[in-house]
Amino acid sequence: MSDVMTPKAPQWWKKPDVKKTAILWVICTAVIGYVGVEFHVRNMVRPASETMSGIISLMRIFTWAAAPVAGLVGAMCITVLTSKRHYGDTPPPEADHEIRNSPRATALWVSVSGLLCIFALIGGLIVLQKDNAAILENNAIEINVTGQQWVWNFDYANGARSEDLYLPVDKPVVFHITSVDVKHSFWVVQMGIKMDANPGYTTEAAVTPDKIGVFDVRCAELCGLLHAYMQTKVHVVSQADYEAWLNNHAQSEKGA
Amino acid sequence: MSRPVSAPGKSIIERLNFFTALALGALSAIVVWRLSLAFLPQDAESARIFSREDKITLLSMIAWFVGFMTGIGALVGPFRWLMGKDLSHDENMFLAGKDMGVTRYFRFTTDHKVVGIQYLIITMVIFFLGGGLAMLIRTNLGTPEGGWIHAQAYNSIVGTHGILMIVGTIIMVTGPFGNFIMPIMIGARDMAFPRLNALSFWLIVAAAVPLLWGQFIGGITTGWSAYNPLASQAPLGMDGYIMYICIFAISTMVAGANITTTVVKMRAKGMTWNRTPIFIYGVVASVALALPAFPVFFLSQVLSAFDRALGTSFYNTALGGSGWLYENLFWIMGHPEVYVILIPAVAALMEMAPVFTRRPLFSFNVAVMGIAGISGLSVLVWAHHMYISGWAPLLNAPFMLTTELISIPTGMLFLVLVGTLWRGRLWMTMPTMSIFALLWNFMIGGVTGIYLSDVPADAFLHGSMYVTAHFHYTLMGAGLTGALAALVYWFPKMTGRMFDKTLSWVAFWLVQIGFNIAFIGMFMVGLAGQPRRVESYAPTFNTANMVTTGGAYMIMIGMLVLLYGTISSWKSGVVAPMNPWQAKTLEWTVAYPIPLENFDVLPTVTTDPYGYGKAQS
Repeated sequence: MSDVMTPKAPQWWKKPDVKKTAILWVICTAVIGYVGVEFHVRNMVRPASETMSGIISLMRIFTWAAAPVAGLVGAMCITVLTSKRHYGDTPPPEADHEIRNSPRATALWVSVSGLLCIFALIGGLIVLQKDNAAILENNAIEINVTGQQWVWNFDYANGARSEDLYLPVDKPVVFHITSVDVKHSFWVVQMGIKMDANPGYTTEAAVTPDKIGVFDVRCAELCGLLHAYMQTKVHVVSQADYEAWLNNHAQSEKGA
Repeated sequence: MSRPVSAPGKSIIERLNFFTALALGALSAIVVWRLSLAFLPQDAESARIFSREDKITLLSMIAWFVGFMTGIGALVGPFRWLMGKDLSHDENMFLAGKDMGVTRYFRFTTDHKVVGIQYLIITMVIFFLGGGLAMLIRTNLGTPEGGWIHAQAYNSIVGTHGILMIVGTIIMVTGPFGNFIMPIMIGARDMAFPRLNALSFWLIVAAAVPLLWGQFIGGITTGWSAYNPLASQAPLGMDGYIMYICIFAISTMVAGANITTTVVKMRAKGMTWNRTPIFIYGVVASVALALPAFPVFFLSQVLSAFDRALGTSFYNTALGGSGWLYENLFWIMGHPEVYVILIPAVAALMEMAPVFTRRPLFSFNVAVMGIAGISGLSVLVWAHHMYISGWAPLLNAPFMLTTELISIPTGMLFLVLVGTLWRGRLWMTMPTMSIFALLWNFMIGGVTGIYLSDVPADAFLHGSMYVTAHFHYTLMGAGLTGALAALVYWFPKMTGRMFDKTLSWVAFWLVQIGFNIAFIGMFMVGLAGQPRRVESYAPTFNTANMVTTGGAYMIMIGMLVLLYGTISSWKSGVVAPMNPWQAKTLEWTVAYPIPLENFDVLPTVTTDPYGYGKAQS
């Protein structure tokens, strides 16, 4: 008898709010993924090394991986906000259910976030491994970088010293970074490398510039009064130009 | 019988108040300053420059601290106890502020409700000052070539803004609501240690003066992180920072021990852990995290003071120390600390979610697990602030692992919030919209956190404005949003009046829209390569910086509206009924004004407070 009186509840995926949320989920995921990627890629500097290109594609992948999760939260919020709302000083009638949990939803949610976490970790480790290996490169150019309040000094193997950094294109470089006073941070912006310059220690960073041009070096750690002005340029030039500059510079040093 | 007034002369307890504290603090500072000026030997030739001045400054500040705490009456209890005669009943009643009117807010009052209001006021003062400094920073960054503020003053403003806001956000939920609401919510008459409660508040007041003092003797030019060796080369204002942190750390430890004990030992009969409201879990997790974190912060600053004043070399590499030691100590505090800020704010919104959707909290157990998981993991992630410091490159991978694992319990908090919203009967109030705002802001803060947790991406993003925008999204977009919702939600219980509805909406939208404009702009300049804490930048960043500055002004207007709303509603708002939100936690069962010791008869709890919704037939 009572079976006739109460219509059987539809299966959960046929309920109207679930359907609405599912459609919104697809839309939200697409919008969030697209906007998120474009926001980052358009605002980010143009890459001048493979390291930087790697960072940009990593962020692209992470954004798309996060988009379905953010999209689901967004879709559920929109569904809730566009359902019946109550304004007023007294509470609305109670909701028509008293659901306190859903083991299935919880299990699914936790395992998906676990998988995403592992995915992010593996993605990061692969790129990290590549960056670490670069430091061990045998035929790399070695340059000593010294930070001091508030300039950068670059020492080259032939004894040349400069305040602008000169690098040949497509050759691996290893920087040995230190400081003479306080902590600075050596940031070659368009090449996506950064390493702190610590007084009393030498740290390493490696990169292979792959574009000819003039790029930025900035200090990324507050180092006192003129921190904002502690920046210089890096000139990436052809191998021949680099050698010419290096010889010239070493000679003028000797001559002086 | 009338209240026994000791007619011939008031007892010492009754004489001490905020003003005697100020007087005694100032007096002892001046005396110690003159004495140390006269008797401290000159520095040896080899000593660090200003070492003697550092000693004098630190000694005077310590004298201020001891004088102030004596003057406020913090030592009366321990002193009496040493003398073998504890406080009498009347004296205890006086300390609790019984029948004392408004003067009890200016004394060492032990009633948790008084302490809660005191915390609320000091939080608002801190946000007012810190917000004002933020406006100076943003105004100065309106033009690329360095503004009208001198570089040294600019650095000091950045550092002071940072430390003020960190302290303000740490106390913004556990201070006002953890003290005022929490004991009533668990059905207790007061905190476990009422005198420690008063102590924790007045320590924060005592700490404020060295920070202000520091502004006039060179400022805090190192940013709030005060990295060494920059800090040992910084002007005398640094000593103000050191004293401020040390005193604040004591306050946090005292409050942490007090709140944890209260919740563990004093919950009402029948309030099992399964029936304890989720907000209580948030507050306990927050202060329990502070317990291991803040002693380390204290220690880091004591060593810093030794390096400055006594010529030790804990952080000086040339003499055998290491700047990396400071970084480790600082971030062992620094990362748990962000969850100290975040967890209670999220938990407050979790507490409100069932009330404003009229359905039970979704998955209480998952909420507890999320809070516990974040707390546990947060002490294992500190070195992700040091990926590019060069300290231990080999540890980057394990710290990347722990950092990314935190996204799992954080995801649980999201699940609980959206799960509770789902199929609820939405009651549109400012706290309700704050839940949506938190989900939005915290999602952005969380996902950008995943990029930053990744070592190669961090090599680009670290130290840039991107990081600044990221942590503002988590601490302000999520944390402050929760705290403001808590203010509106518990305002009727704390003041007896409703928070003006229109003003709460206006403030909400101004702050949220302004916030998103400001910090989206900041993400943009960060991605384009603008470092943090700079007073001038490349002209290409100008447009986005203007956007950020515009958004910041919008936040300022919103916060001023909120301040006006708080004051006007407090003075002349609509008188609130006992339970305006028809909520089921215990604090709504006592009428305003809440009597001393809260309950005539202590309540007994038979169910959890989330029994909303009606069963389907």
